[in-house]
Amino acid sequence: MAMTKSQRRRASTIVRYAALSVWALIAFFPIYWMISTSFKPSSEWFSWPPIYFPHPATLNNYLNVWFGAQEYAKDQYSISSQKPLISLMNTTVIATTSTFLSVLFGAILAYGVSRYKILSETRMFQLLMLRMIPPIVVVAPLSLYYTAIGLNDTRTGLILVYFLTTLPYAVWMTKSFIDEVPREIEQAAEILGASRWRTIFEVVLPLIRSGLVATFLFILILTWSEYLLALIITKTHVTTLPIELSKYQGSTEGRVYGRQAALAVGITIPLMIVGLIIRKHLARGFSFGMVRR
Amino acid sequence: MARIELRNLNKFFGAVQAVKNLTFTIEDGEFVVFVGPSGCGKTTTLRMIAGFEDPSSGEIRIDGKVVNDLEPRDRGLGMVFQSHALFPHKNVAQNIEFGLRMKKMPPAERVKRVREVAEMVRIFHLLDKMPGQCSGGESQRVALARTLVTNPSTFLLDEPLSSLDAKLRRELRAECDRLHQVLKRTFIYVTHDQEEAMTLADRIVVMHQGEVVQIGSPLDIYSNPVSYFVADFFGSPSMNLVAGEVMRESGGARFRSPSIELALPANLAGAKPGAASLGIRPEHVAVTRNGSASATLPVRLVEPLGKDTLLYFDDGSERAFVAVTEGLSMADVAVGARLGLVLAPERLHLFGADGRRVGAG
Repeated sequence: MAMTKSQRRRASTIVRYAALSVWALIAFFPIYWMISTSFKPSSEWFSWPPIYFPHPATLNNYLNVWFGAQEYAKDQYSISSQKPLISLMNTTVIATTSTFLSVLFGAILAYGVSRYKILSETRMFQLLMLRMIPPIVVVAPLSLYYTAIGLNDTRTGLILVYFLTTLPYAVWMTKSFIDEVPREIEQAAEILGASRWRTIFEVVLPLIRSGLVATFLFILILTWSEYLLALIITKTHVTTLPIELSKYQGSTEGRVYGRQAALAVGITIPLMIVGLIIRKHLARGFSFGMVRR
Repeated sequence: MARIELRNLNKFFGAVQAVKNLTFTIEDGEFVVFVGPSGCGKTTTLRMIAGFEDPSSGEIRIDGKVVNDLEPRDRGLGMVFQSHALFPHKNVAQNIEFGLRMKKMPPAERVKRVREVAEMVRIFHLLDKMPGQCSGGESQRVALARTLVTNPSTFLLDEPLSSLDAKLRRELRAECDRLHQVLKRTFIYVTHDQEEAMTLADRIVVMHQGEVVQIGSPLDIYSNPVSYFVADFFGSPSMNLVAGEVMRESGGARFRSPSIELALPANLAGAKPGAASLGIRPEHVAVTRNGSASATLPVRLVEPLGKDTLLYFDDGSERAFVAVTEGLSMADVAVGARLGLVLAPERLHLFGADGRRVGAG
């Protein structure tokens, strides 16, 4: 029997939601597993069949990982040699500084490209191509080079390399936002007496604020979780959270899943907080240009 | 005070020449309208005067001073854009205030000026709104106010009304006219709408393919178009233009087309033989039901407008030959009826094969 129009519509809605639910399950399972594992006592880390809800749930993983508290390490997996709080600070400083520089210089460059064509289409594409070089290709020469100029194992070294490697994204993203700002709005400011810089800071940047915020978060996620370059450039002095995280799964320590999960949760939370704070801008930033003004 | 002179002004975009050798002067306090079809160079010319485009060659002078190298903000001009170009993140009052802040006017004085100007263009009730909350007509008033408040010597208006509907357009057109009379400043207005040009301008500059074709008062342009292009562009309904040829005959010349044949009046008798177009405005064509006529043509369409009636005749070409008759006396004419047309001889225009009017100065 043929379905009526409303039945068809409802059926298609059901199919759509079913598909989305499956997708959501796949996407959220690792996150759920990370959180769940972080509360598991060591006896449940490896158990088969897997345990989905830790019983009894424990905070030991968190306390041990974040505060190195020996008294909470009642099992053989106690970790005391790591410095997660210091790593957290390093990551915060390195990621935010490099992201800030990247967005700032990216936006200025993008303004030049958008308004004065300081880079041709080809150059812009070449800039993006830089991102297509696998990082592993450059880490060895970079490391040698950094040793020579004394930037190995320093925050400055990492900030510099993150800034430069994310700059192409920043230029491309902010350019698309600047392109959306009508020239006439700038010219109106200009003929009303505003200087070029005044126009940029009073008219252009406020108009693309949401875009800048979206770009900032996008690049922050990249630099916050970058692993390979950090692994090569940092040694003992400056470690970042992704490096810290990898230490829980090594030849000496074995697989310390619970502790690692506790650390991973801690790494994820700051990004989520940032995302929540700026979510108003994100929705607008990522949909910029799709709305008719 | 602003007298604007353009001297041998040229503008190339790559190989394309958008503006060709413009030379003319706009007198202080004059309302000049640049008019022409899109792509004729009128907006480019305005943008060169504003300083947003650099001329490829030639000079722009304001009050005798060459301003080619001056930034837009140093030229003392105000501009209203087609898109209104309001700052979307500032409210109406802040938009209007912008130019005053750039001039470092003290805050108290700024507030006073903004209020004055808002009164003047009747947008006082909008001051706290965001541009996004304003209608098209309101935005355009805000854009006018924002320009007005800086007290520019010259107003540049780039198709300011083209995004509005017909009624608002008429309303704001009157507003522009009123402002010009109150302010007594130089206005340069760009439009592709011949009606706007006719109603607003002291002088019209007709442009076509980057060149000035004719400069003159609306009346002058309407009655004495220098070329086929100008004749065709101005007037609604537009001038009847019939393609045909001129032939010499003893004591004068005749114009002949498939539908119309007549002896040319004395002022056109010197026309060279060959292809030509005969032009006459619809209001100068008399329609007779009986009596002698220059041509007899079948009616294609009747448009009774009330005050007068438009009769469209089939003259064998694609565009109809139009006559305006007063009142509704002709409203009952049947489509297909053949009527006689009398063309007022002193109102005839003849355009040669090159498009120039025969006998034009």
